[in-house]
Amino acid sequence: MSVRPGRVLAYVVLVLLGLIGLAPFLYLAVLSTKKRIEITAQVPPTLNFNWAQISKNYTEVLFSQGMLGFTVNSLIVVAASTAIAIVIGTPAAYAFSRLRFRNSETLASTILSMRFMPPIAVAIPLFLMVQAGGLQDTYAGLILPYVAFSLPLVVWIMIGFFDEVPREIDEAAMIDGGTHLIILWRIMLPIVRPGLLTAALFGALFIWNEFLVALYVIDSRGLQTISLGAATLVSAQRPIDWNIAAAVGVVTVIPILIFSLFVQRYIVRGLTAGAVK
Amino acid sequence: MTIATASAAARFTFGKPENTRRTVWLFLGPCVIYLLIFSIYPLIHSLRLSFTDLSGAGGSGKWVGLANYASLLADPQFWNAARNSAIMVALAVAVQVVLGVALAMFFNLQLRGAWIVRGILLLPMLMTPIVVGVMWRALLNPDWGIIDWAIRKLGLVPPDWLGSVDMAIITLVLVDSWQWTPFVLIIVFARLQALPQEVFEAAKVDGAGPWVTFRKVTLPMLMPAIVFAAVFRAVDAFRSFDLIYGLSYGGPARGTTTLSFLAFQNGFQFQNYGYAAAVAYAMLLILAVGMTVILRYVHIRGGAN
Repeated sequence: MSVRPGRVLAYVVLVLLGLIGLAPFLYLAVLSTKKRIEITAQVPPTLNFNWAQISKNYTEVLFSQGMLGFTVNSLIVVAASTAIAIVIGTPAAYAFSRLRFRNSETLASTILSMRFMPPIAVAIPLFLMVQAGGLQDTYAGLILPYVAFSLPLVVWIMIGFFDEVPREIDEAAMIDGGTHLIILWRIMLPIVRPGLLTAALFGALFIWNEFLVALYVIDSRGLQTISLGAATLVSAQRPIDWNIAAAVGVVTVIPILIFSLFVQRYIVRGLTAGAVK
Repeated sequence: MTIATASAAARFTFGKPENTRRTVWLFLGPCVIYLLIFSIYPLIHSLRLSFTDLSGAGGSGKWVGLANYASLLADPQFWNAARNSAIMVALAVAVQVVLGVALAMFFNLQLRGAWIVRGILLLPMLMTPIVVGVMWRALLNPDWGIIDWAIRKLGLVPPDWLGSVDMAIITLVLVDSWQWTPFVLIIVFARLQALPQEVFEAAKVDGAGPWVTFRKVTLPMLMPAIVFAAVFRAVDAFRSFDLIYGLSYGGPARGTTTLSFLAFQNGFQFQNYGYAAAVAYAMLLILAVGMTVILRYVHIRGGAN
């Protein structure tokens, strides 16, 4: 068999699929290079790029509209919340995987079911708590709820990774008189490092994209996170300047794009966490 | 650090066999206490709020019993939102499961370079939902959007994507499917790759054609993965809020106002905290009933092997 027509068709479908995934981003990127007037005048948009216009749009978005500052805020909030969630969630996942105690199944499924909770069901009380605690419009007011949102995710993913480590490894250490604390710290953590990365990645992604809590906890423009900043830039001002809106979109996507290039296999691991193999 | 030195350190610090109870508390305590404060307490607080008239405009938080729930059931907007949620979840799951399984089978052909396309298809899932919504508003713009331009170029009339009440919810499902069909693909594909090859060879020997093999052999073996993906998609579509905020803001004429969005509007926009909490609890009730029914048939736990 040399070239089968079915095979050729399959490659055409493959390329089309790639386009369906990628074309919306490319369209957004092209719009972000245009003058405001060109968006409505050039349909479809041409691919003549005017560097002065591009730098004008992006300077506007990054500096005048403050997207650069929003990105920094997001990085701070994401780093702090993810770190806390990992530190609290990893030992808990170890306990569910290795320790035997009463009601462990019930407790585990209670925590895991929080993964399915609609954020709106807790958003109002959380908002009132943040207000009562005087944390309105602070990083801490975001970080405290975000840790709660990402904890179930971290526990969920880490249980899977701990369960995969053969029991012989920690049993050997146990016979030598190691305590669980030492087994977790010295033996398990190095083995489940990919799990820590996966859990951190998904916790971070969730927080990076979170918007509902940020919308009500943050009042001052200077403290907005990237998704909140993007949302206010594209919905508050009507009519929308679409070239600016597109540039805002590109600015939020690029960090994710770069990030995902390095961590593709962890993304797949995290998405399939808990799936029956 | 070797096991021997680790255990030496252990003996040095603890001296006697460890107390398991204390270890359990040490490991689980922080996580459990944190979730009690920042998840369970807000949930209970939400329940309590749903029995009060607390609002930003005058409602003092007086106990009103089941009044919020009564007005909920009498509120046509609640039923409209429930209907929209039901349509969205049902259509999104149906579209994404069918397409996702088809894509998984397609990627199982092992074409050269297919991994690149799979990598591309991961991207929509990672995107900020708000931005996904805004991006599609540009793509589907009736005046200058490139999709309508292409449809007109083909001599067809583009639908009024976000302008018509009946079309907007379909558009919402399509955009959600653009973002999340790859999730079903990844889950089902992972399962597909783990299936024993002998079964397919046996089916071939028995003279089964590709379609029969798929129906009678592949599909039954994929079922656990399909159900898993469908449950996740159903719950996430039900909870979906940001995408709607970015794409259609619940409109036009409440055509894309789902229960999530209704709870958001009442809670934050109109500051009817009590009423919004009742909507949220109606959602939790629906979720709990749905999950109980589903979990009767499938077992989902982190790292089920």
